[in-house]
Amino acid sequence: MAHEIVMPQLSLSMDKGQIVNWLKQTGDKIHTGDILLEVESDKATVEVESVESGILQIVMGPADGEIPVGSVIAYALAEAEAPVVVSSTVLPSTKTVVDSEPVQITPSSGGNSQQLRRLPSSPAARRKAAELQIDWQQATGTGRDGRIKERDVLRFAQELVESASLKIASSDSIQLTPVAKRIADNFGLDNASLAKLIPGKTKIEGDDVEAAIRKLVGERQALSSPLASLAPIRPAALAAPRHEAMGAVRKRIAERMMQSARTYAPVTLTTEIDASELVCLREALKSDPHVTAAPSYNVLITKMVAKALCEYPVLNASLEGGEVVYWPTVNIGLAVDTQRGLVVPVVRDVAVKSVNELTREMEDLLSRAAQGEATGDELTGGTFTITNLGVQDIDAFTPIINPPECAVLGVGRLRKRMAVVNDQPAVRTMLVLSLTFDHRLVDGAPAARFLQRVKELLEKPYLWSL
Amino acid sequence: MSTLERIGTIREAINEALHEEMQRDPTVILMGEDVGLAGGVFKVTDGLLKAFGPERVFDTPIAEAGIVGLAVGAAMTGLRPIAEIMFCDFTTLASDQIVNQAAKLPYMTAGQTKVPMVVRTAMGAGRRAAAQHSQSLQAWYCHIPGLKVVMPSTPADAKGLLISAIRDDSPVVFMEDKMMYNQKGPIPNGDYTIPLGKVRVHREGRHAVVICTSSMLYPTLEAAETLSKAGIEVMVIDPRTLSPLDTEPLIQAAKEMGHVLIVDEGYRSFGVTAEIAARIQEDAFDYLDEPVRRLGALDVPVPFAPSLEDLTIPNAAQIVELVKEMLA
Repeated sequence: MAHEIVMPQLSLSMDKGQIVNWLKQTGDKIHTGDILLEVESDKATVEVESVESGILQIVMGPADGEIPVGSVIAYALAEAEAPVVVSSTVLPSTKTVVDSEPVQITPSSGGNSQQLRRLPSSPAARRKAAELQIDWQQATGTGRDGRIKERDVLRFAQELVESASLKIASSDSIQLTPVAKRIADNFGLDNASLAKLIPGKTKIEGDDVEAAIRKLVGERQALSSPLASLAPIRPAALAAPRHEAMGAVRKRIAERMMQSARTYAPVTLTTEIDASELVCLREALKSDPHVTAAPSYNVLITKMVAKALCEYPVLNASLEGGEVVYWPTVNIGLAVDTQRGLVVPVVRDVAVKSVNELTREMEDLLSRAAQGEATGDELTGGTFTITNLGVQDIDAFTPIINPPECAVLGVGRLRKRMAVVNDQPAVRTMLVLSLTFDHRLVDGAPAARFLQRVKELLEKPYLWSL
Repeated sequence: MSTLERIGTIREAINEALHEEMQRDPTVILMGEDVGLAGGVFKVTDGLLKAFGPERVFDTPIAEAGIVGLAVGAAMTGLRPIAEIMFCDFTTLASDQIVNQAAKLPYMTAGQTKVPMVVRTAMGAGRRAAAQHSQSLQAWYCHIPGLKVVMPSTPADAKGLLISAIRDDSPVVFMEDKMMYNQKGPIPNGDYTIPLGKVRVHREGRHAVVICTSSMLYPTLEAAETLSKAGIEVMVIDPRTLSPLDTEPLIQAAKEMGHVLIVDEGYRSFGVTAEIAARIQEDAFDYLDEPVRRLGALDVPVPFAPSLEDLTIPNAAQIVELVKEMLA
């Protein structure tokens, strides 16, 4: 079937473009990456590549004036496919006068070497150009079949240097090393030019000259490059700031984060743990035929945190009014990133549930939460929160406590690293835990002991059976 | 090691090396077709029978597999045999002994046995000797791990490399160009060795490098002289040992010159030039200003007709032409 080729958006502010000329003709065989046409936008004239392959059928050209971005300007047809009958309705264009006759396709007589994407060039030429930071494609090839050779790049660089018109009053006060002199001579730079290019140095070395040449050709080239005038890349394709009302989820996140930041006295502790045994455990469970659904790391960590919370109830508490409320169950919230923002579904009474139960429950809860389908009840009632940024390659961070809870545990990525085991280097899977706790309620030492206990449980899963 | 030298031919240099090594080391023995009474079909072994007697220098029947098999066995028992195979075309008859026995036994016995043997053999066209006496089969033996392959191009190299080959504990295929036996040059006196696996730079240059082996050195030097008159300075390097190949200086030269031509008298297809070119493009790609060029024997059996034979072997004019084409 025919693929539409549309007027591309070539700069952030471009909404219309003028076709300067087509470099391929109707009936030509085109390939992905071929330069199809030149388009003039409000900023520059740019060559446009094909993102399709097929037989070209051109429907708009230079005579059509300014064409809105997104309008169909041509089709890429399959082999032997009939041309698209172009009527005014298929074009969301301001121009409606388009020939309604089907376009005649005439077979093309093969490619044109001038339109090859890669000019013939030698590796040495491209390396030299990279060293001098110039665009070798702008050099004129003098090798066989127009191949750009190293000497052509050097000549082009020399032209760029010469066109910089550096002639000023002679300066005899500088000294050149033999290497510097040779390079300078190659590029036709006299002492006066060098004095200007390398100010403040009386003894000039080869490296100085090379750096100056690089800078010079870089500047000259920037001026002549068609890309120089393109707008820099910005975070969003916006001509002006866009205002948008806060969604309900975002609003709630903002309120709770502010509440946490305003009222809490947060302190973050981090510790690195050796998770190799934990990884072994999970791999063993995954490969065991008796285990139908192996628990995720989230499940295993949640379960162990619950065990530690039972031993350190002050971390499973809230400050309400002037009172400390110790909660009778461990309800762990898990931070989930959704399209609408952060939500924290809560797994209830984790301490008494088996790993199997937690696996089933969490899989269901977390996937529904990720799709925004968790109920209001499921998103409240937590006594502790776990947030995991390991997928995003984060190691340590400072999570914010989810009010009215007392603490939050940040889990980093599992990462193989060299560790010291029995005074010997060993490859171990390491993991950083970040615990933020409310210092109003808990002091540093008990919070640290709690984290130490979590570390111990995760490093030595055999303790779980006790 | 003496620094004195005399002028002599490659034939004399090899003969001298054989004399000196047999004199120095009683375990060195020599065998082959006509190497004794006749002094070798190319007169390379002249005088050795007289000097060392029939116990150490003996004529063999026309049985190449037997000659090399004898040498492999002798080498395993502690001798240092030198087997002459008159034409390298005939090593095909002995290739089981060379490829499957000599090259393999040190490995298959986990180093418990060594095969310190040299197979000397004559290669190259130009003698109007037709298709079965004119080939250059060095690539065959370069392809086999466990063998060393040496190709001298000057009298000094011939002496120094042959002495090193005799003293080497690996089996060495030592290929002598039959048209160069009369080539003259300095021959260092006395105990002169050249390490195997080291290139020799014959000429420094600025614009291109020609890497040439054995018989191709002299056409290359002639071409370099012609090119020099046209203002083109060509570096000339002879690897001398093809296996192990001293790759690093070749890469370095390729990087400096950016234009590389490789010339070897073996067949161009799947040959020595292809291997060297491949190594250069792997390590010097970004420095090449032209594709690496290669010259070798045309891919035909060497013709008997002199006018046709000459057309199949690279010559100085072709080297000049290719270098100019690269630099155009």
